[in-house]
Amino acid sequence: MSVWNYLDVLTPQLLLIVFALLMPALDYIFKDKRVISMMALAPLVAVAAALISWIFLDIWTPPESQISLIDLDIFAGLFMLVFVSVGIVVVLGSPEFIKNDKNQGEYYALILLAITGMTIVAESTDLIALFVGLEIAGISSFALSGFRKTEKRSAEAATKYFIVGGFSSALTLFAISLLYGVGGTTNIASIGSILTTSTAPWIIDSHPVVLLAAVMLMAGIGFKIAMVPFHMWAPDVYEGAPTPISGLLAAASKKMGFAAFFKIFLVAIIVTKTDWEEAVAVLAILTMIVGNLIAVSQTNIKRMLAYSSIAQAGYILIALPVATQYAVAGGIFHIITHAFMKSGAFMVVAAMGAVAVGEKLEDFKGLSKRSPFLAFSMTLFLLSLAGIPPLAGFSSKFVLFSSAVEASFIDGQGWMIWLAVAGVLNSALSLYYYARVIKNMYMEKGPSEKVRVPPMLGAAISVAVIMVVAIGIYPDAVVTACRHAGETFSGLVSGWP
Amino acid sequence: MFEGVPIVSIIILMPLIGAACTFLLGRYEKYAKWVALSFSLVALVLSVLVALVFMVEPDSTATGYHDGRGFYNFQFYESATWIKSLGITYIVGLDGIGLPMFVLTTLLSTLSILFSWDTKLRPKEYFGLMLILEVGVLGVFSSLDYFVFYVFWEIVLIPMYFMIGVWGGPNKDYAAIKFFIYTHIASLALLIAIMAMYFQAGVNSFGMEDIWRAGQTEFTKVFQVAAFGATFFGFGVKLPMVPFHTWLPDAHVEAPTAGSVLLAGLLLKMGGYGIIRVAIPTLPEGADALQIVMAIVAIASILYGAILCLAQKDLKKMVAYSSISHMGFVLLGFATFTQLGIVAGVFQMFAHGLVTAVLFMMCGVVQHHCGTRMIPSLGGLSKKMPVASTMMTIGFLASLGLPGLVSFAAEFMVLASMYQTWALWLFLPIISVAITAGYYMWALQRSMFGPMTQKIDTAHVHDISWFEGAPVGILIALIALFGVFPMLIFQYIDPAVKIVLGLLGGG
Repeated sequence: MSVWNYLDVLTPQLLLIVFALLMPALDYIFKDKRVISMMALAPLVAVAAALISWIFLDIWTPPESQISLIDLDIFAGLFMLVFVSVGIVVVLGSPEFIKNDKNQGEYYALILLAITGMTIVAESTDLIALFVGLEIAGISSFALSGFRKTEKRSAEAATKYFIVGGFSSALTLFAISLLYGVGGTTNIASIGSILTTSTAPWIIDSHPVVLLAAVMLMAGIGFKIAMVPFHMWAPDVYEGAPTPISGLLAAASKKMGFAAFFKIFLVAIIVTKTDWEEAVAVLAILTMIVGNLIAVSQTNIKRMLAYSSIAQAGYILIALPVATQYAVAGGIFHIITHAFMKSGAFMVVAAMGAVAVGEKLEDFKGLSKRSPFLAFSMTLFLLSLAGIPPLAGFSSKFVLFSSAVEASFIDGQGWMIWLAVAGVLNSALSLYYYARVIKNMYMEKGPSEKVRVPPMLGAAISVAVIMVVAIGIYPDAVVTACRHAGETFSGLVSGWP
Repeated sequence: MFEGVPIVSIIILMPLIGAACTFLLGRYEKYAKWVALSFSLVALVLSVLVALVFMVEPDSTATGYHDGRGFYNFQFYESATWIKSLGITYIVGLDGIGLPMFVLTTLLSTLSILFSWDTKLRPKEYFGLMLILEVGVLGVFSSLDYFVFYVFWEIVLIPMYFMIGVWGGPNKDYAAIKFFIYTHIASLALLIAIMAMYFQAGVNSFGMEDIWRAGQTEFTKVFQVAAFGATFFGFGVKLPMVPFHTWLPDAHVEAPTAGSVLLAGLLLKMGGYGIIRVAIPTLPEGADALQIVMAIVAIASILYGAILCLAQKDLKKMVAYSSISHMGFVLLGFATFTQLGIVAGVFQMFAHGLVTAVLFMMCGVVQHHCGTRMIPSLGGLSKKMPVASTMMTIGFLASLGLPGLVSFAAEFMVLASMYQTWALWLFLPIISVAITAGYYMWALQRSMFGPMTQKIDTAHVHDISWFEGAPVGILIALIALFGVFPMLIFQYIDPAVKIVLGLLGGG
């Protein structure tokens, strides 16, 4: 095994890291800061293009992994595509937002590093690699959320995020050590197989250690995906962080948490499913309800989007207790669509902030007159988040909820229909606060001067709009890919349901 | 004619293209009404041609569903794979139940656009949204795949939300959000039922026919009752049935006139259409088990809606409540499970679409010219606006079921079929006929006739304008035409209903 084997599989990460390290240097060389953002865009676009040509166009195949820590399967591929796509949107949306900052090179470097960490989580086949990925992404995100150092809210966000994030890392690490203690390996699939086949008495006896690990993971990674009751940090951090970074946190960091969740719960400890499925189901429903109910009363749009993002995490969590190939496909599909809807919505808010209009709900009054483009894009994102056809959010919710309906036909799992019912009722509830923003934009009178949308931000929003509409109208390719990703899970562990 | 031409898709596409054009008008938005009118007119002409072809050369282009017992005999059938991985196919086609609704949609859309001719507030959005609404309703009445059906079903909500919310009356925010959420929750119950039917059928297809076919063996009785309950709720809220009707008066009172016309004339029909297209044929045992519930809800809607009309001071609110009552007849007809009853229910949907459009347009005329619709403030208007008051009188008479006008044939047949099934229980719905005559005559007496009102300034009140009079006139002509020759529509509905009834195992 030569060093080239490592390079082959790690090419995306290496590409991202090399550019990340170049960024501060470029910052010195170029006076025109747009060049730096273009250079930050380059590796992301390259990785995205490679992934698309593999997953959707079938004109290229990634190398077989020669190392045991990471593997680029279709599950990882889809998640990586989500991360780099959000990265593209966020980088496009950033220049206007940080144009007066001295340290732009570092800003882009941190974004690239955060995305590197996320891609490692998506690709990891080993708990150690997974943890390393979580940390790389986590630490870069802490720094990014406090990037506007002079602003009190930003500093507060970073501190809060850092403390909570450190705590959650510790819990995750401890859970990983427990899993290692049980299985004697850190390989995710091997732990699953050992749990299925082992005859050791402490494993057969309802896996108490594994359950303890599951509880700790729920808390540890639950923080990352803002699952109730570990969600409290999210609104404060999203509100305080620079808006494009809020988009990155909501649309990408959270998805990294789901990648970790899926890997550990659906591969490593899937055999103990009957022990934790009800707990996760309850938490999923609570997450939807709490997120939506609190979102109703928000007056700041970033906080509203934060709570809506908590609720959306609740929908995605449905995939865990249901745990069929179709449910995993639904979960991944909703993660993909949510990434575009949420990052798009945050970019609209960023555009409003960049031209000093404001971030309050009432600042959106009469926006349709001031900038038809922003108002129309925001309307599409919000309707898609609410799950109105023919937009992307409807298709993905459709697959996700229908997987719960499908599972409820199996004997003894009739209760799973309530996951679908809860999801559906919560979608209706969420429509209330989404519609209120739309109402403000189209039906209320506001100031009349036009809002100028910075071109790069306009491009970022356009990318998200195109994806939301295109996936909504023709979801077939994405659904097929997601179903393949769901199938990879059953191949990893022999006892997969 | 139309062989090999995807005519149904073309008709659905017309308003969509029109909407895109109106939205793109930019500074030239005063031409929006012309663009909207021409595209909807093309759709209208094409749909009338389709209806003629359907009548003149039946079966000539019929493909689609044929089998031993015969599901539906759809003509103008088109099918194209859409989302293969989920078994979703774009299928459209028309039969005797869908076609009258399809033509009604293009007709009312065109007339509503004409009626809104002097809309000054944001015309390009207004006419664009009306066209999108038309696309949604046309899709609902022609799609034969549950997923496609649901997509069109939901598309309808968005333009209506904006029409109420932007162009509505003083309390528009509340009404728009109430409409949106109320009917959206109903749609979601429907969505869960559709998912359940899909998985229970287990054929990996959302095609209505595939699920229907598989369901004959796969759907247990318990499943059918549960699924029918969910679909019935989903469609019933749109219908609207008591006690899920409360969104309707609010939405109507606040909506602009054309919005009310489309809401009452088309959106309510979607509920009735869903029951007869989806709920009853696919889940016959569930329908059978809940037949009595349907009947009770229907009669409650008929009576409750009528009684509430008596208490209304607002002319438009009265018409809104009368819609609840008249749509109750649709449900009652379906609930009888007889050939006559179901035909009558479908015919009543068509009839109500024509009549209620006249009524709402006349409410709009009164509001527009007098500045108020409150009955106590009006009075003696027939002197100032003789043509309008004549038209309103005809509309009221048509709605209360004067023989020779279209509603009479429909309601009479519903009542006759009710007698076939439940004999003397007929006395319950028939009370409503008297109440209906009462509230219409009373309202007419107080608003149009009698001494001239002193409560509003009538100095500048003038008679109906051409763009208001023309649509109402056309509708009145059709009301009389189909009242005298109901066979013109019956002959479409009758064979299609025979097949539905065959599925119920009755006849």
